[in-house]
Amino acid sequence: MKLRTLLYFLCICFTLLTVSCSQKPSFYNKYTSVFKIGDQQEWATKEFKDQNWKPILRYVPDGEVFWSRTKIDIFEDSDSLRPYGIYLHVYGEYEVFWDGVLIGENGNPGQEAILGKVGKMWTTHNIPIDLTKKGTHVLAIRSSLYYFPDHIRIATLNIDHYDDLLANRLIETSYMHLFAGAFLIASIYFFFLFLSNKKEYATLIFSISCFLFFALILTEFIKAYVAIHYSMHVIRLQIIGVLMVSISFLIPFYFSIQFPFPKRKLLFIIYSGLLVYIFQARHIIELTNNDMALSMWVFSVCIVVFGVYKKRKGALLVLLTLILSVLIAAVTPFNKSLFAGFSLILLGMFYLVSLKIKEERLAYENSLVQSTRLRLELLKKNIQPHFLMNTLTSLIDWIEESPKKGVLFIEALAKEFDLFNQIENQTLIPISQEIALCRSHLKIMEYRKEINYSWQDEGIDLEEKVPPGILHTLLENGITHGLPQEDNSIQFKLIFESNIDYKCYTFLTFANVLEEKKNNKGDGTGLKYVKARLTESYQDQWDFTSEPTAHGWKNSIKIYF
Amino acid sequence: MNILIVEDESRIAKRIERMTRDILGDALQSLTHINTLSGALSFIENNSLDLMLLDLNLNGDSGFDLLTTAVSESFHTIIISAYKDQAITAFEYGVLDFVPKPFNRDRIEKALHKIIRKEKIHTNDLKFLAVKKRRRIQLIPIEDVLYIKGAGAYTELFLIDGKKELHDKSLEKLEQLLAFSFERIHKSYLAKMSEVSEIIVESGSKYIAELKNGERIPIGRTKYKDIKAKWF
Repeated sequence: MKLRTLLYFLCICFTLLTVSCSQKPSFYNKYTSVFKIGDQQEWATKEFKDQNWKPILRYVPDGEVFWSRTKIDIFEDSDSLRPYGIYLHVYGEYEVFWDGVLIGENGNPGQEAILGKVGKMWTTHNIPIDLTKKGTHVLAIRSSLYYFPDHIRIATLNIDHYDDLLANRLIETSYMHLFAGAFLIASIYFFFLFLSNKKEYATLIFSISCFLFFALILTEFIKAYVAIHYSMHVIRLQIIGVLMVSISFLIPFYFSIQFPFPKRKLLFIIYSGLLVYIFQARHIIELTNNDMALSMWVFSVCIVVFGVYKKRKGALLVLLTLILSVLIAAVTPFNKSLFAGFSLILLGMFYLVSLKIKEERLAYENSLVQSTRLRLELLKKNIQPHFLMNTLTSLIDWIEESPKKGVLFIEALAKEFDLFNQIENQTLIPISQEIALCRSHLKIMEYRKEINYSWQDEGIDLEEKVPPGILHTLLENGITHGLPQEDNSIQFKLIFESNIDYKCYTFLTFANVLEEKKNNKGDGTGLKYVKARLTESYQDQWDFTSEPTAHGWKNSIKIYF
Repeated sequence: MNILIVEDESRIAKRIERMTRDILGDALQSLTHINTLSGALSFIENNSLDLMLLDLNLNGDSGFDLLTTAVSESFHTIIISAYKDQAITAFEYGVLDFVPKPFNRDRIEKALHKIIRKEKIHTNDLKFLAVKKRRRIQLIPIEDVLYIKGAGAYTELFLIDGKKELHDKSLEKLEQLLAFSFERIHKSYLAKMSEVSEIIVESGSKYIAELKNGERIPIGRTKYKDIKAKWF
C-alpha cells in the first residue's frame, strides 16, 4: 500500500515539474525568416528591403551561398552586465550578422568542398550590447549547405541572456544525465536479477528497456557538450530513431508478459510491422518519433485495459500512469513530454516488477514452509502415537514373554530410526535407502502384527533417486489397510520400469483388502504426503494412481523426463 | 463374563487377552478377538456381551463410529488406545475407562475392577447418553436428563422437554457412569440432584423428592438418610 502511495506522489510531482518547465515569458518576438540565393554583403544590413524574398527555399545545390533574414522585435534593453545571445540550430556552415554586424562564424560558407567540414550543429553567439536596444532588429545568416542541400531551415532560434543560454543547457543536461543514471542503475540491477534467475524474461526486457531509455536520454542531450558537424547529425537522429523503435516495441511487449492476452504472437507481428513502416517512412524525424510513441502508447493501453478487464494485479495503476503520460504529452513540447511520458510508463513497469518480486518472495516462503512441513511429517512417522505406542506396547510384551526376541525387535527398531535420521533432511534419496527403510519397517511390523510380510523388488536401478518416505508411506498404507491372506502372509512387490518418456514405479500389495477401503475414494494424509513430495521434486511432471485390484492394491508413480 | 477385544495389532490383542484371562479367572465365560470394524459391529449385533475392550484406531480408521454404537449398548466399554488426547472425548461418550498404550497388567486390572466391583466414575466428563433409534444412534445431552427409571434390563430416561427415551444399559451401569451428578435415590430411580428442589416426608414414612418442574419421585427408605446427609 505504501509503495502505491509513493508512486502516486511521484506521478503528481512529475506532472507539476513538466508543466512548470513548459511555459516561459518572452522578451522578444521573431518574424518568419525569408530566404534568397546569392551573395551580397548589403543583405546583412538592417535597412535592406527583403519584400521579394521567399519564406521557403527548397534546394540550393553544390554548396552555393544563400542568405536568410529574420526580423526580431526586442521589448527590453539588455542589461550592461548581461548581454543577449542567440542560440541557433541550423543546418549548414554560416556567418551570423546582427543589424549588419558580423557576430559569429560557423565554418566557411561557400567553400565547404574546398576547406572541409568545419563548424557545429548548434551554436551560441554573443550580441553586442549597443545592438540590442528596444526595437526592431534583423538577424541575417549567410550560409551554404553542401551536404544536405534540401535541409534549408532554421530549426531553432532562441534569444536569451548569453550566460543563461550557455548555463541553462548544461543545467538541463546535467539533470537529464542524473535521470539517465538512475535508469542505468535500474538496468544493471535488473540485469543482475535476470542473471540470477534466467527463466524470468520479463526482468531482462525491463532491464533492456531501462538501458535503451538511458541511451535515448544520452543521445538526445549529448548536443550540449559534444560538437557535431551538420553532415554527421543524421547519424544521431538515426540512433534516436532505432532506440525509439526498440523502446516502442519492448514496452508493450513487457506489458503483454505481465498481462497476457490471446493471439499475442500475431498482434505483435502486426505491431512490429507498423513500427518498422513508421520508421522507414521519410517524415520529419520528430514526427516519426511522435508516431512511434503514439502507437506504442495506444498498443500498451489496449494491453493494459485488457489486463484491467481480466482483473490482473497492478493493471489499474499502470493504466493510470499511461493516461497521465498522455496528459503530460498534451501540455508540454514533444521532446519534454517524451521523457516525462516514458519515465511514467517505466515507473508503472517498475511497480509491476515490484509486485512480481513480492509474489515470488511469497511463493518462495511458501515453498520453504511446505518443505519444512514435509520434513516434519517424515519425522513424525516415527513418533506419532499410533506407531510409537503400539510398537512400545508390543515391545514390552515381547520382553516380558520372550526377552531374546524382544532384543531383536529393539534392534529392528534401532535400524529404522537410524535410517530415518539419515534421510530426514533430504528431498531425494537413493532408492536403495528407501527399500532398506521399507524392509526394516516390515520387520518391526512382523513383531507387532505377527503376520509374515515379504518384500520383492524387480528391475530396480540403484542409481535412481526418489523423494524420502514415499514408498514407506505406501507400504504403511498396505499394512494398515491389508488383512493377511489365508497363509497369514502379505507380500509387497516393487517394480521399476523406464523408457524415453518416463520412469515408473509400480508398488503392489498382495493382501485381502478391507471391503470399506475399496470404496474409499478419499485422499488420506498418507497419499497427500506422497503427492506433495512428488510436487516438491518434480513440479507437475509426475502421475500417481492408487487403486484396489483383485489381489490387493496397486500404486503406480510415473515421473516424466 | 463375556468379553470382546477389538484390536488390529495381533501382539497387543494377545497381551490383553492373556491379562484378562489371568485377572478374571473363572469369572470369564467367553473372550473373542476381532480385528476389523465391520467384524466387531456384526459381532455386537449377534451376541450378548458384558464388556468391550476397544482400540479406537483400527486399520487407519477412527473407531468413533463403533464407539457410538458400543456406548448405546447394554454393556460397558473400555478404550485401549495410543492416543491419550482421545480420552476426554471417549469419556464424554460414556466409556467406563480409558487405558493408554503402553499399558501393564496393573492398569488392565484397575480397569477390569471397575466392572467387577461396580466402581463409580467420579469425573464429570460424560456429556451424552447414546440412545438407539431406528437405524441410527441419537446422542442425548446429559443436561437434558431429569431422572432415570429402571425398567427391567433397560432404563427410561426422563427429559426436560417431557419426552421419554429408552436406554439399553441397566440402572446399575448408568449409576456407575453418572455418579458425579445423579444419585440412586430408590432401587428403580436415578435422579439428577441439581434438579431436586426439596424432599417431602409424607405420613407412613414415605419420602418423596420433588423436582423443580413439580414432578415427584419416590426415595427409598434405606437411602433417605444418606441422601439427606450428602445433599441437603
